[in-house]
Amino acid sequence: MRFKRSLKRILIYAALILAAFTIQTSVFPLITVFSSVPNLLLILTFSLGFIYGSMTGMLCGFFAGLCMDLFYTGPFGFYSLIYMAMGYANGIFTRYYYDDFITIPLLLCGANELIYNLYIFIFRFLLRGKSDILFYLRDIILPELLFSLLVTLMIYRVFLKMGKKLDSMEQRRGKDLA
Amino acid sequence: MDNKAAKYIFIVLTVICSVLIVLSSIETRAFDPIRSAVGYVLVPIQDGVNRAGSAISSRLTEFQELKEVRSENEELRAQIASLSEENSRLKSETEELTRLRELYSLDTQYMQYPKVAARVIAKDSNKWFQVFRIDKGYEDGIEVDMNVLAGGGLVGIVTEVGANYATVRSIIDDESSVSAMSQHSSDGCFVQGDLELYEEGLLRITDIERDANLSDGDAIVTSNISSKYLPGILIGYASDITVDSQQLTKSGYLIPQGQFTNLQEVLVITMTKSEYGIADEI
Repeated sequence: MRFKRSLKRILIYAALILAAFTIQTSVFPLITVFSSVPNLLLILTFSLGFIYGSMTGMLCGFFAGLCMDLFYTGPFGFYSLIYMAMGYANGIFTRYYYDDFITIPLLLCGANELIYNLYIFIFRFLLRGKSDILFYLRDIILPELLFSLLVTLMIYRVFLKMGKKLDSMEQRRGKDLA
Repeated sequence: MDNKAAKYIFIVLTVICSVLIVLSSIETRAFDPIRSAVGYVLVPIQDGVNRAGSAISSRLTEFQELKEVRSENEELRAQIASLSEENSRLKSETEELTRLRELYSLDTQYMQYPKVAARVIAKDSNKWFQVFRIDKGYEDGIEVDMNVLAGGGLVGIVTEVGANYATVRSIIDDESSVSAMSQHSSDGCFVQGDLELYEEGLLRITDIERDANLSDGDAIVTSNISSKYLPGILIGYASDITVDSQQLTKSGYLIPQGQFTNLQEVLVITMTKSEYGIADEI
């Protein structure tokens, strides 16, 4: 029974990851008005990790990263590794999780964006001798971070509501069966 | 209990990812079959979403554009007048040119490269990399290392091909480097993408010999000796060429001819440099 319940969750998470990925790659590039766009896959990964713990965060992160790896030509596993690690790490903070408490998710969002972008900077730019970190911080990392914070502020509550609904549905079904 | 399991799985996945990174760094093509297989599922989704998205965004911008178009229209009318005058003058010059071309048997192959049009269906929206995906793959005759054009100039090169898609690395990507030359003096140089210059719409030109006859405003085209790019494709125009501090080489900037922002349609030259070489020898 537990398997059937979690199957539904897995399907929903998979759909969310796929939706975030398609919007990120096929819709955002059409919006040229803004200089930067939020990183939806990262927001999804850390939110799920923070709300549901390391296991969920890690697996969701892994598949989100896999999507990115399949899209790019670079070394395979580069994105899987970082997204998976971020999902896992954010799960550690799940003990500080309270309903409707938005400060910690925002702090996590900022920290995640910084670490994720520094990871790309170090392994794909610094190693090739491009070391002007101040430029990359100002022009790429900070704009993306701000947009991501904004989006987190807007959709984090939606994730919470969705999660609660799933929980209550499962509980109800559990009662019916008992 | 759950925590412990998570820790073990985390370690296992970390090891798997690390092994994959090392493997794919050694054998870069190893994962193409997997990417291609997933492409069968992912590409139609991306294509559909992209179509829907561009339909909506074009609706939204239509109204805003109407105003711009009106003023542009007036400008264009004025331009037509001056252009038609210029045209008649150029026509006579073209005749002269064809005669001279025959005389010198100049290479006009750039125009004759076989091309196929493709739509851009996905792009990396993070700014670190300038990579995009088009809706034509090996089923349409696309191969790795084929050159990609847009807006009358070189925009990139195919780096990976699936059945129904291809991934293109733009020449403005930080990792891109194109072997190029001046069109009129054939002096060699390299055109490199640079994330720090990309905002200003520029690329970097490096490794020009100190005595080379290459100055501001010169047309820069792909070089004859490039291993991946077909010769004679326009990349852009040189600007701010200065002598480097070691006094051995010159470098400067390049104003690209190709279109990079809001890229929707591109042309892929369905001939690789190796095929070109063979055709040349025959």
